[in-house]
Amino acid sequence: MHPNEDALNAYVDGTSSASEAADVERHLASCASCRQTVDDLREILRAVPTLDQREPPARAWSRIERAIALDADRGHAAAPRAGARISRAAIATWLAAAAAIVVATIVGLRYVPAARQQSAAARADATEQASAAAGAQAVEAELRQAEAHYENAIKGLEQIANAEQSSLDPRTAATLQKNLAVIDQAISESRAAVRAQPASEPAQQSLIENFKTKIGLLQDTVALINEMRKGNEAGAAQIVSGLKQKGN
Amino acid sequence: MAAAKQRLPIPFPSKGSSEGADLDLVARCQAGDAAAFETLYRQHAARIYTLACRMAGSPEDGEDLLQEIFLQAHRKLGSFKGDSAIGTWLYRLALNHCLDYVRSRQAKMSRITDTLDAETSLEPVARRETPIAKLDLERAIERLPEGCREAFVLHDVEGLDHKEVGERLGIAEGTSKSQVFKARMKLRGFLRGK
Repeated sequence: MHPNEDALNAYVDGTSSASEAADVERHLASCASCRQTVDDLREILRAVPTLDQREPPARAWSRIERAIALDADRGHAAAPRAGARISRAAIATWLAAAAAIVVATIVGLRYVPAARQQSAAARADATEQASAAAGAQAVEAELRQAEAHYENAIKGLEQIANAEQSSLDPRTAATLQKNLAVIDQAISESRAAVRAQPASEPAQQSLIENFKTKIGLLQDTVALINEMRKGNEAGAAQIVSGLKQKGN
Repeated sequence: MAAAKQRLPIPFPSKGSSEGADLDLVARCQAGDAAAFETLYRQHAARIYTLACRMAGSPEDGEDLLQEIFLQAHRKLGSFKGDSAIGTWLYRLALNHCLDYVRSRQAKMSRITDTLDAETSLEPVARRETPIAKLDLERAIERLPEGCREAFVLHDVEGLDHKEVGERLGIAEGTSKSQVFKARMKLRGFLRGK
């Protein structure tokens, strides 16, 4: 009889008792399959310390900077009039306002579809179908709420990006526009899929992921504008490089 | 009995910095020097972002967590007394924030591990005949079901013992063990394409 997985893991960790370890070793001597499992587990544990640290994207610091600025001046941000040129002094406040919207979206709406839970409930028996249907409606309502928040965040970021886009070099602006067009098309398609199949979890996930992608792209744009204003060429170049990769 | 491995928490030094320089940097941050806070961020962001990505299971959520952690650090830095290294203080703050996030997400999802198990076993990351590629392992960790991923990251990656993992995650020590073991077996399955 094979040792169970807990016994093999404890053996690999060196936490088995002497008699348990001896039992495992006796078994391993005659079982290629368990030897392979032990070898694989050891290899995984050897590989873990070699994992690299990840560098956060360049826009991450800009987002933190804006969140800190907002923290210091909460509640005093004002949206610019439509079509008005935003003054340099006002931009910092405005960027903070956008960050607030995005932070609110992220903190308040880590959207997690509950459909998985409800699908399990629906399988249980016929008496639970009614509650599953109610659950599906709740999922739709949650999705609509998430959609509205994402759209708000996107609108705020778009206003900033559009107002300041003239300060970007034309090729970068073109890359951004191209990327935005692609993601807008994807949003439009996933929205249509959700409308056609409101209970479809993949469709819901796809729509939310596309919103997130667009927010990320707009955040990159705002971060780029910020870096250029600070004269940080290296930071700007890093963001542009990321934008080009996303566009390929 | 086979010799038990002594797992030590991974040290958390500031990147290219000495203790004296750290204290000076913290003092400047506490005095409101924005450039000093950016330096603090540059020194520690990668370590914290890596932890956040692994705990959250995605780079997108990891980035959100990174922002929230440094915003909180900025708010709380005034209370830093220098009892530990600034890196250790930041790490604790980051870990606690990641755990809060994990707990709130788990409360919302009320454990969907079993459902996810079925999904995550569909597509192997890679069929492995050569030593494990780091990138494959990172991706496989991201795909671990909630619950066992956090336990694996805290125990096998961050070096906490099962008792501490249990305390941090609000689970029994034995549950921490079984979650870590489950995570390893799943990683094996992902990496071997089984």
